[in-house]
Amino acid sequence: METEETINNWGQLCSDEMISPDIFGSGRPLNRESFTIRIFLMTLSLLTLYALFTMDYQGVDIAKATMDTLHNFKIIFMEPSTQRLGLWDAFYEVLITLGLAFLTTLFGGVIALFLGLLSAQNLAPRRITCCIKSFVAFIRAIPTILWVLIFAVAAGLGSAAAVIGMTFHSISYLTKAYSESFEELDRNVIEALSASGANWWQIVFQAVIPSSAAYLLSWTFMRFEINFANAIAMGAAAGAAGIGFDLFMAGGYYFDLKEVGLITYIVLAFAIVLEMIATHMKSNIHQKA
Amino acid sequence: MTPETSNPLLELKNVIKYYNRTTPALADISFSIMDGQFISIIGPSGSGKSTLLRCINRMIEVSSGEVCFDGVITSQLKKRDLRKLRTKIGMIFQHYNLVDRLTVIENVLHGRLGYKSTMAGVLGRYSQEEKMQAHRIINILGLHDQVYQRCDQLSGGQKQRVGIARALVQNPRMILCDEPISSLDPNSSKIIMDLLRSISREMGITFIVNLHQVNVALKYSDRIIGVNKGKLVLDGSPDQLTTERISDIYGSTAKDLMTDSEERYAAG
Ligand SMILES: Nc1ncnc2c1ncn2[C@@H]1O[C@H](COP(=O)(O)OP(=O)(O)OP(=O)(O)O)[C@@H](O)[C@H]1O
Ligand SMILES: [Mg+2]
Repeated sequence: METEETINNWGQLCSDEMISPDIFGSGRPLNRESFTIRIFLMTLSLLTLYALFTMDYQGVDIAKATMDTLHNFKIIFMEPSTQRLGLWDAFYEVLITLGLAFLTTLFGGVIALFLGLLSAQNLAPRRITCCIKSFVAFIRAIPTILWVLIFAVAAGLGSAAAVIGMTFHSISYLTKAYSESFEELDRNVIEALSASGANWWQIVFQAVIPSSAAYLLSWTFMRFEINFANAIAMGAAAGAAGIGFDLFMAGGYYFDLKEVGLITYIVLAFAIVLEMIATHMKSNIHQKA
Repeated sequence: MTPETSNPLLELKNVIKYYNRTTPALADISFSIMDGQFISIIGPSGSGKSTLLRCINRMIEVSSGEVCFDGVITSQLKKRDLRKLRTKIGMIFQHYNLVDRLTVIENVLHGRLGYKSTMAGVLGRYSQEEKMQAHRIINILGLHDQVYQRCDQLSGGQKQRVGIARALVQNPRMILCDEPISSLDPNSSKIIMDLLRSISREMGITFIVNLHQVNVALKYSDRIIGVNKGKLVLDGSPDQLTTERISDIYGSTAKDLMTDSEERYAAG
């Protein structure tokens, strides 16, 4: 009872303070929104302070730990080299990872193309679009790695589970992106074509896809980039082959930080190339659009 | 053109259309149209002009009544025959409804899709003849300099001419126009209306044109049909259309509307 009272009192005190304009000076009207934000920030800072003071460090010396970490970073980034992994091997492994990304993007893209058509509001009845859209949103809400692990139950941990899981997530991502691109085409244009006797497939292939091709391409490539990153993670986490697996072995198994550094640089190089191509494609699209 | 000129090209019998249960968008409309006529439909906004037009090529299904085109009752047609019917009826729109990202020639060729098998249409296989015809029509409409331009680079009047070309390449018996000049300035409006009129005369194509501008209707049509609240309130030649009849159709707003459209047209 006592505690309840004190809490109540405290709450009153707080709200009194909140309402008095002196504390916030500026004279900005205190609406509900900013009030909520203030309460939220205050709670967060209190929690942070509480956590800092009560954390169990288990004898870790923060200063020393920071220094060690920096030292490791130095090894990784300043002295990349390799003993076990030849440069060509590494290159080949990256190709495998790229292959994984390509395959999953391709599968995902083809399936998403059809699902995208069926979930575009100007092309399909409302009931179907709603169904597919919510189904796909559900898939997208669960991270790729979880899907891979779910499929690993059936397919075993390895490249098969990785391909299926990544394809699954790619489908949901691309379906949303594609259907939104398709919806750019005005419903009235579709009406005009069907009034001239064209059927659904003809309209899709002669009007809808040509006019959204640029978007489709850029979304697909964007997904390819994401899948490349995913493929590295899957190599490490799900035992799908490729450079990710080497990274995992070098870091977690051999503790070879120099090799981790080298692999990081190789991946970085490929990522930059992909990014450059993507940027180039996007600027092309903007010119066209 | 056809030997039996006594048979109407299009006949509507007691057409009724309900969008909801309460008020009909079209209430018992009947009329028939001879081959080669140029007909305007006028009426206030929301009176059912667009609905009426779309019931003719079954873009909208009628609730009851019959639409008879060239001796065929349209409501009985199956999918394939409906496509065949639609190839015979071109359509032109207020907002042109072209695929903006495609070129003029690609848009015009879309008018041929109705004649093709699904596969040939999907792959975009157009015969040499079809391409030549498309180019010929584009030339007639004065778009030869824009053939390979994307449609979003064209002016409104040019876009509407592409729309007309797309309808013409269908070799239609009849062309339906839903407010073809409502998005155009007076000058291009005049060009487009002159064009439609001369196409009607020279190619013997029947036109049904929804219009908001009464004086345009008076100037160009052989016959004017007036609708109000889904009912047919007028059907006659332009010289039968007096100011009183117009106010019957448009109600109290008639005066504003007349002056408004006169100003609009005087500028052109
Ligand atoms: N798809 C639809 N669903 C429900 N009601 C509709 C639909 N289309 C039209 N209507 C209704 O039917 C009536 C007639 O509409 P219509 O578009 O045919 O009029 P209109 O004469 O073409 O008008 P405007 O001159 O403004 O184009 C209106 O009351 C409209 O609200
Ligand atoms: Mg209308």
